Amino acid sequence: MSIYSVTKPGLGARLAALSKVVELGQGRLEAKLLDDASQLLTRAGERLKLSSDHTVVALAGGTGSGKSSLFNAISGLELSPTGVRRPTTARTHACVWGLEGAGPLLDWLQIQWRHRFARASALDKGESQLHGLVLLDLPDHDSIRALTDPEADRLIGLADMVVWVLDPQKYADASTHRRYVAELAGHDAVTVFALNQSDKLSTEEVAELVIDLNDLLRREGVSQPSVVPTSAVTGRGIDSLKGVIADAVSKRRAAIQRLDADVDRVERRLEQAMPVGAALAAPSSVDAARRVGLTDALCDAVGVPAVGEAMESVYASRSASWISWPFARMASAMSGDPLKSLRLGDLREEIRSLADCAVTAQSAEVDNAVQALSDGLTVGMNEVWRSSVHHAARSRAGQLPQALSDELSEVAPRLDRVPLWWRLLKVWQYLLVLAFVAGLAWVGFALVFGVFGAGRVPDSLALFGDAATLPWVGLMTASLLGLGALSAVASRNFVALGAASERDRLEREMRRRVGAVAESMVVEPVERELTRHHEFYTAMKALSG
Amino acid sequence: MRSAGDAPESVGEQTLNFRAIRDDDDPDRVADEPEAVRRADPSSDPEAEPAGDFFAFARPASHDRPRVGDTEDDLDDPDTLDPEPAFETLEPTSAEPSDDFAPFGRSDDTFRPFGQPAPARDSFTPYRAAEPPVDNFTPFRSSGLRPPADAAPSPAPPADAGSSPAPSAEAGSSPAPSAHEEPSPEVADVPWATSGVRGGEAGDPAAVVDFEVIDADTDDGEGDDLEDLAHDAEPGIGEPASVETGSLEPDGTETDGTGADGTGTDSAEPDGAETDGTGTDSAEPDGSVIEGTRGTTTDGSAPHGATADGSEADAELEGVTADDPETDTGLVGAREVDAGLDGATADDPETGGEVEGAGGGGESGDAVTGEPAVPGQLVEVDLPDAAAQALTAALDALKEAVADLRFGLDLPGSEEARQAQEEILTQLRDYVLPRVRVSAAPALIVIAGSTGAGKSTLVNTLAEKNVSRTGVRRPTTGIPVLACHPDDRGWFAGSDLLGGLERIERQSREAAPDSLVLVTTERLPQGVALLDTPDIDSVVEEHHEIARRMLDAADLWVFVTTASRYADAPAWNLLRLAKERAARIAIVLSRVQPKTRDVVVKHFVRMLTEYGLGEVERFVIEESAVADGRLPDGEMTELRMWLAELSVDEERRAQAVQETLNGVLNSFRTRVPALARYLEGQVAFRGELRTDVDAAYSGALAHIESAVRGGTLLRGEVRARWQDFAGSGDLTRSFQLRKKRRPVPPERITAFRAALRTALESLITSAAHQAADEVAARWRRRSELAAGLDRPSDDLARRTGRAVAAWQEYVTELLSTDGVTKRSLSKVVSLDTESLSLLFMVGLFSADELPQKLLKGLLGAEALRSISAKALSDLRARIVMLFDEEAMRYVRALDAAGIPDEAAATRLYQATYNLEVAR
Repeated sequence: MSIYSVTKPGLGARLAALSKVVELGQGRLEAKLLDDASQLLTRAGERLKLSSDHTVVALAGGTGSGKSSLFNAISGLELSPTGVRRPTTARTHACVWGLEGAGPLLDWLQIQWRHRFARASALDKGESQLHGLVLLDLPDHDSIRALTDPEADRLIGLADMVVWVLDPQKYADASTHRRYVAELAGHDAVTVFALNQSDKLSTEEVAELVIDLNDLLRREGVSQPSVVPTSAVTGRGIDSLKGVIADAVSKRRAAIQRLDADVDRVERRLEQAMPVGAALAAPSSVDAARRVGLTDALCDAVGVPAVGEAMESVYASRSASWISWPFARMASAMSGDPLKSLRLGDLREEIRSLADCAVTAQSAEVDNAVQALSDGLTVGMNEVWRSSVHHAARSRAGQLPQALSDELSEVAPRLDRVPLWWRLLKVWQYLLVLAFVAGLAWVGFALVFGVFGAGRVPDSLALFGDAATLPWVGLMTASLLGLGALSAVASRNFVALGAASERDRLEREMRRRVGAVAESMVVEPVERELTRHHEFYTAMKALSG
Repeated sequence: MRSAGDAPESVGEQTLNFRAIRDDDDPDRVADEPEAVRRADPSSDPEAEPAGDFFAFARPASHDRPRVGDTEDDLDDPDTLDPEPAFETLEPTSAEPSDDFAPFGRSDDTFRPFGQPAPARDSFTPYRAAEPPVDNFTPFRSSGLRPPADAAPSPAPPADAGSSPAPSAEAGSSPAPSAHEEPSPEVADVPWATSGVRGGEAGDPAAVVDFEVIDADTDDGEGDDLEDLAHDAEPGIGEPASVETGSLEPDGTETDGTGADGTGTDSAEPDGAETDGTGTDSAEPDGSVIEGTRGTTTDGSAPHGATADGSEADAELEGVTADDPETDTGLVGAREVDAGLDGATADDPETGGEVEGAGGGGESGDAVTGEPAVPGQLVEVDLPDAAAQALTAALDALKEAVADLRFGLDLPGSEEARQAQEEILTQLRDYVLPRVRVSAAPALIVIAGSTGAGKSTLVNTLAEKNVSRTGVRRPTTGIPVLACHPDDRGWFAGSDLLGGLERIERQSREAAPDSLVLVTTERLPQGVALLDTPDIDSVVEEHHEIARRMLDAADLWVFVTTASRYADAPAWNLLRLAKERAARIAIVLSRVQPKTRDVVVKHFVRMLTEYGLGEVERFVIEESAVADGRLPDGEMTELRMWLAELSVDEERRAQAVQETLNGVLNSFRTRVPALARYLEGQVAFRGELRTDVDAAYSGALAHIESAVRGGTLLRGEVRARWQDFAGSGDLTRSFQLRKKRRPVPPERITAFRAALRTALESLITSAAHQAADEVAARWRRRSELAAGLDRPSDDLARRTGRAVAAWQEYVTELLSTDGVTKRSLSKVVSLDTESLSLLFMVGLFSADELPQKLLKGLLGAEALRSISAKALSDLRARIVMLFDEEAMRYVRALDAAGIPDEAAATRLYQATYNLEVAR
């Protein structure tokens, strides 16, 4: 990152943003695009590390348009062999004005040693403005040889500035325009078009061609084409071409302009693939309402409310055998057991034990809950990001039902639990029954001995034989019955109350735990993805400045 | 619940239903069919006559023919083994014309015409020795042997008749007969028969004067006369022909000869007679020219005809004799003979047509004998009606088959396929069909090349008129310009050739892209027209299209490049295309600097040779000042000569035309099946996409089933409700004895029921989600169609709810039907059907024992099993229906993209085959 800081802040920031985009876009952007972007990053890094005093200018063009002749004309020496056979040049030649510091640059450009030439600055007093120029004579890009040799392609991509050498015959070739010029539209500042071999035409014809070429280039998106008619044979236009090059060389900005234009191009492609648009408006985190919604849905999947209800009614049902008025129980038992009549009496206990089973989660509903969350979050998102959020949400969906079950089993109510007060109540009920029985005995005793005088009542039992107690005792006995029934009813209410509060507590606890599981297994991965999404588009925005 | 497993039939039925949407069988079937067709192709070729017909048509000499034959060669090879030596024997004999003659007469008449002109022969022999046709040639004989062998007795006697004269004729040349006898002693007579036939055609050009004599000969059926005549003929013909050919262009004659050989060889395989036909054809022009010079010599050839008749007499004497007089009909005659000899099942139309052709041929023959003497005059020789009709019909069928193709799916390569389809269609319409209808129309020479190569300048200079705008702007020419002689204008203005283009008078910027400028100039020779095309490599890509289209309609390609461009990749792509198409091509290298001429030309020629184009005719034009859109005339001399020769020498022109046409027709052999293969690929691809859908949804269904059976459905709320239901005593209460029933609280029942329904619903929806996801994921890898289909349809939830509720209704109904409950219990227990149905569903979905036991106790094992099976299969059917509708969305998406017609590939293969047959 440090290397970016030394350059123009705009380019540095954009390259940083681009590297962020590449990093976050991994697997989400088209591999080709990512590849190109990372290549650009590498290239930018390398170029900016190398001599910024030099400007690499490449002469590119079709076979036979006179690149080598022009190269020789500019350098003033016969450095690159010219010829009539097509294609002539197979290896790139380089000529450097001002050699110091250019070595690594030429190495980077992979120019062979024997094709490197230097113009010692002492020799060219008149050409001091070209100091810092690295002029490349590229092989052609359109001959049958070029089909198998990407040399020209490679260097057109690396050069800081490209001079397209066109000639009257080939200036409108698709191989030049479609493959390079239209592709590199936006590189106006670092692209020059030399209309070579102008000596073959009359002045009027040259003028006509220049106009035609300008039109053509504008149609292709080169907004301000700079076209220089040249002739390597007569030397016409060479000076103005040199002037254009010297201008770029002296400003020392071509490398950065070139990279800037390249970033522009990648950015356009990125923008096309994943338009920023309203993407930044998409949520970068899961808000509270959605969390609640997810917890609710998961609770439903586990059946939290149903568990509560079940607990309530099971308590009510089970408590009956403890707290109900024994006589009422006897009465109902006498009405007969349907299971028994079905000869399924042995299942009764099984049915009762059913209530002991642990809480489990319905996996399909868990899936749907997770799906609903990610659907809600990804509305309007790019398809790729949408599916990656989905993927993140579902990343642990497989384990989720089990995790929920495990977590909730800890708090699940023991339905076979018998509270102490049920037992006490039962004791109390039986005490009442005892009392009732005793009362009955008393009444019987009093009737037998007191009323009918069946015998002599021992003194110690005189009280029991006293007929006068009879109404009172009878009343008391009867009220014992009432008291028993009353206490059964009251305790049933207490059971209901207790179950209700237990249910509340239980539901709260379960919901809390469900929420915690959802947080760690669903929300967190989703939020990571959402953050990534947000960062990606923030970087995209930074990239487009 | 085991009960589900107990009802395999019903489950199976459902599976069937589900699969009914699949059409994976279809792609298979389609894939099979074409194969069958393909298999049928070669197999039927050799044995059946269609091949014969096809060759019968092949009268114009073509080097490509042998290729057609290749397939059959393999099959015929065994037979051909012995004839081969026979062939070799011919070569030595060919050294001396007079000696050769006899063996030729006996073995292969095809050679006779060539054998006659001495110079031609010299070149001819090496050629034969070197070229593949040699191989092809042999099969000819062998196959020639076969048919007569079938026909047995009838051809045999004439063969004898033929054979007897032969030896006598060869009396002078003793080695020949012996040599000749070697190859096929056993079948000796048979080849004779064929050779006789050939001789007949070879003699065709002969003047009518001799005709009577021939008749007489045939009547006699004796060889002596024939021999005499033959003798007369040979020396006679030999001289003038050699003179002629030598003077005009030896190559031409050679080519003719070779061409004849080539055809002879090919056609030889199925039936020898055709070969003769071709031989005759090639001989024709010579003959006619000869006539112009010396009438008598030509007559000499008649005797062969006579011999031929003699041999043919048995087969179809009259027809042949009728044909003899004229050269053209020789073709037809040959075909007839073939048919006759083979005893083959010649197609009805053809045999019928032959007769007509023979008649028509008679007339045209006259015309030929009359006209050819006048050089440079256009000879419009239509193909024999029947043949033309057959070929045209085959081409029409091909055109329709190609036009019907639809490549709906966006597969890699679909763009190319569409383009190939378009190209084939255009070429059929613009060029092949018109060209087949009138084969001797003026030759269309298309000037093609890079932008700025000077195509327009070239045309202007040749036309000596500024027919096409030139300039420094690139690209210059956008609309093709056709320049021809005024006499040919009618043909180009009105014909179907390039019929899709609107004819206009002059170039203008406003002209529609689909137009063709038609100009006439006296300076162009008759019979050749120049077509200036747009470039092949400029930024204006429409130009490339137009240029390609023009080239597709070309009889000859003139490829223009320049000294600075000759290494350009597009140029070589075009040359490769020309080579692939076997188009006749000439190359012009223009803008060559005089001082560098040698270097450049040498280099260019080396490149051409490396590309296998070293033999192509080349013209070099030096760079010079262009005045008024034209080059100095001096640069053009060679080209102009070449054009003039083409104009004068119809034979050569026709041959060039025919070569290109054959090249194009041959190219259909690979281009059309390539289309068909692509189409098959589409069908297969569609099948795959379809399979993806089916696989995903059957996976979903399987998932649901396993969930239903494995008890995973009985979780979460359902489980809690079940606990609630059972634990609260509602369950027991629902079994309450009849009298003292206390209703189960309805809200609990409803909640339980709802929980069950929700569980089922979410199971189905989540499975549908996953299926949709899976399909989308699978599709996305291969096609764009998945867009918007990665989610189940919006109303799936609603439909699922309805389906599950309906199923619950159905279960309740099942259980409330009388007689479900054990009779013994119904008195004691009153069952609450609501509760019972809930218990039943739990039993259905649960892996626990308890509900099962309870239900068994209540319903009895038997009834429980049958009800469970019914309930499960009903549930399955409902889910299947839901999923079917879901899957239909994908099918609709596929359909919307366009359904490749599965039979279209078969039709393509059929059409290609028919075309071959018709040729």
